[in-house]
Amino acid sequence: MAKVLELGKSIDEGVRALLRFLLESGKIKGVLTLTKISRDDDVAYSLITNSELVEDTVPLYPLMPSNTAKLLTRLTLLEPMTEPIAAVVKPCELRGFIELIKLNQGSLENILFISSTCGGVYSLKTAEKGNVGEKLPQYWESIKKMEVPPDVRPTCKGCKYFLPYSADITVDLIGKEYNGKKCEILINTQKGEEFISGMEGELKEVEIPTEYIDSYRNKRLAEREKIFNEIRVEKFGLEELINIFGKCIGCHGCRTVCPICYCKLCYFDSRESDYKPINFETELERKDGMRIPPDTILYQIVRLTHISTSCVGCGMCSDICPVDIPLSIIFSMMGESVQGMFEYVPGKNVEEKMPLITFKTEEFVELEL
Amino acid sequence: MEEKFEPQMVGFLCRWCSYQAADLAGTSRMKYQPNIVFTRVMCSSRVDPIFVIKAFFHGADGVIIAGCHPGDCHYQEGNYYARRRFALINKIFEKLNLEPERLRLAWISASEGPKFAKVTQDFVNDIRKIGPNRTRKEIFL
Amino acid sequence: MKGAKILVDNNREEVILEFLKKGLDRTCFDAILIPLKVPSEDSFAYVLLKNPSLLDRASALPPVMPVQGAKALYSLTKQGKFKQKVAIVMRPCEIRAGIELYKLKQTELENIFLISIDCPGVLPLSDYIKDPEKGTDAFKETVVQWGSEFTRPVCKICTRFSMVASDLHIGLLGAEDRNIFLIPRSEKGENLLESLDISLENDMESWVTKVKELQEERKKKREQEHKGLKSKIEGPDKFLETFSKCINCHNCMRVCPICYCRECYFDSDAMKLYPENYLMRAKNKGGLRFPPDTLLFHLGRMSHMVFSCVSCGTCEDACPVSIPIAQVFALVADNAQELFHYVPGENIEEPHPLATYKEEEFRDIEMPYVETYTKKEMKDG
Repeated sequence: MAKVLELGKSIDEGVRALLRFLLESGKIKGVLTLTKISRDDDVAYSLITNSELVEDTVPLYPLMPSNTAKLLTRLTLLEPMTEPIAAVVKPCELRGFIELIKLNQGSLENILFISSTCGGVYSLKTAEKGNVGEKLPQYWESIKKMEVPPDVRPTCKGCKYFLPYSADITVDLIGKEYNGKKCEILINTQKGEEFISGMEGELKEVEIPTEYIDSYRNKRLAEREKIFNEIRVEKFGLEELINIFGKCIGCHGCRTVCPICYCKLCYFDSRESDYKPINFETELERKDGMRIPPDTILYQIVRLTHISTSCVGCGMCSDICPVDIPLSIIFSMMGESVQGMFEYVPGKNVEEKMPLITFKTEEFVELEL
Repeated sequence: MEEKFEPQMVGFLCRWCSYQAADLAGTSRMKYQPNIVFTRVMCSSRVDPIFVIKAFFHGADGVIIAGCHPGDCHYQEGNYYARRRFALINKIFEKLNLEPERLRLAWISASEGPKFAKVTQDFVNDIRKIGPNRTRKEIFL
Repeated sequence: MKGAKILVDNNREEVILEFLKKGLDRTCFDAILIPLKVPSEDSFAYVLLKNPSLLDRASALPPVMPVQGAKALYSLTKQGKFKQKVAIVMRPCEIRAGIELYKLKQTELENIFLISIDCPGVLPLSDYIKDPEKGTDAFKETVVQWGSEFTRPVCKICTRFSMVASDLHIGLLGAEDRNIFLIPRSEKGENLLESLDISLENDMESWVTKVKELQEERKKKREQEHKGLKSKIEGPDKFLETFSKCINCHNCMRVCPICYCRECYFDSDAMKLYPENYLMRAKNKGGLRFPPDTLLFHLGRMSHMVFSCVSCGTCEDACPVSIPIAQVFALVADNAQELFHYVPGENIEEPHPLATYKEEEFRDIEMPYVETYTKKEMKDG
């Protein structure tokens, strides 16, 4: 049985009404959410403190200009929020932030997490020229029919974590009409209850039908398999890796936008990884030639090793890549394997220790000699 | 004329157990082929995945990490973490088909000189069969 | 000006690679740094090679610039001088950026042999990768017409596509398809041609004339474009609109050859503030865009590197939301460099404008202070 607050408004209006209520009642001092920022359909995250500006917000817009986990880290890295705020986040962004909390990169204190059952986001390239605005009606239609929208990010299409784990308040979106007459808000925690109390609406206790969640998850899993099969990981090997990553230009954009990559000075920017002239000469003695700057594929595999236990499959890396390498699919696929091996779901539970800082006295016996 | 393949391999030995085992194998005049170049670290958990992956991508034909037996680590838990890290690297190499046979993890205590010689020799023999690492000649890495 | 005219049998690319092969064989240089086609055949990457057979996949004038050549040179020499002699084949803007990096003490040019080539422009990377075959055809047309609608926007208005301070220049302009020019630009260049038994018996007049003619055309076009661009971006509203899509990924900074700082100021702790600070700023305005300081990053980066900006356009290629960043920076760079009559990478002896000064200059900026306060000071005694 779940507690639900039903608003007699469309989901679009209902979420804004919720944010307005929270700001006007003084329960929060600011809300971090997507906002329309220009004449075109450009959206960006903003920390809104004036309730009048809630009018310009588009909290559930299917776009992710940056992963909110990174923004929340920026806010709470040095110390926890001193005044309460709300953050409207997608499930993967919230999971990313929980992982960052485990890595001491932020704090959960004084933040009310509002999430939704997530239908996926469009890639940044689709957002150019206001294309997302054109696709919106079709997007909401797919959501209502519980189908996977056809041209969202591949990692979104195949994502099975569309139910947010640690949100205080969840807006029920999948299977519902976005511009209809009803907005159902699930209240998951006591904190959520405290913040939402006083808001106008009908408080109910409902049974969440698990069959519809399971059937939708199956659709997502089917898409996931399709996408992974296209990459054909059985074909992988050094040669295929070089084919895929050969055109990487070493811009490290994937690292900059990844919520999990938080190192102040990445190994690959440090002096440790610089080649001295003698290193080049030694390499040239063995090989006929070497790519400059060197260690492009090494960077990818090492980054994979460092973050795969925490990869939340948000898909920012593929979006940012200037040469369209299917990074998010590869990383998310490897992430799934590694997380499965350690029986770990990143961002599910903030108390659960990350796999590499814990151990069992008997495990992986097949690997040791 | 084809050059005979002589494996060039890398090893990381923990100072308290496996490195002493290597010393013991040496003083007892146990024979094993010198194809592995060993680096001493204080504990097997010092081995960052970067060491292993970098060695592999710079042409090492095989990489071995050797430490104390689980439960006997000089620093209590180091080798447990090393085992997990190795599992991670192994799984990634396995999924990407990058020849995980070239990576090995062994627990060798300080008194196990013969085991050290055997593990080393076996590894060299296996790598001889597998052949050279293609990253050695690869240009676009 | 004297140079050498080489007859072309098949295509010009082949002749250039033959020439480089000869240089390698006769150990005029020990290695060559030149773009090679990547295994997936949809891009190019700089490769340092010693085996001449690898030159079969090389291109002295590839259709794209995935990595700015100066960045490759930086990677090669940032930790010290190269002991072996390396010949580097790059486009003029890459050479100029390399020389700017030398002035900033980030590259070493000893034992480096700079070879430049006339450049008609490059195609945007994402266009080429989507369809390499179409891209190759588009580039062929670009070479023939010396410019086309397919190139980067800043390439279309580039005036410095030739005549750079390299050691040897490969001239394509003013020569019909059956020739290329080898023009030494330094003593090192002259010595190289001599050691390869290539005599400088040809007059380069036709090259000089054609280059100057095209430069005049481009100068006019550049002025026109910049005027149009200025009216589109000037003023706070229009400027904000230009950068409204920016997601602060910092790709532009990372691929820029001039931006060499290991830890950019805009990634450093200086930009990481306490939460009260962000909340306070948000309260002052009613809201604060997140991540904040987008314009600060762009204007700050501009103020740091614009004197050395060579308008290569690599930043625009790397931008995931297609902001015309290279065009904006090129406009500001032209104006800023004009203040000091400075052309980045043109003269290796000329110091960077901010690394030198004159005791008397920019009176027109300081005058208002002097006028307002000297009289008052004199009155107050």
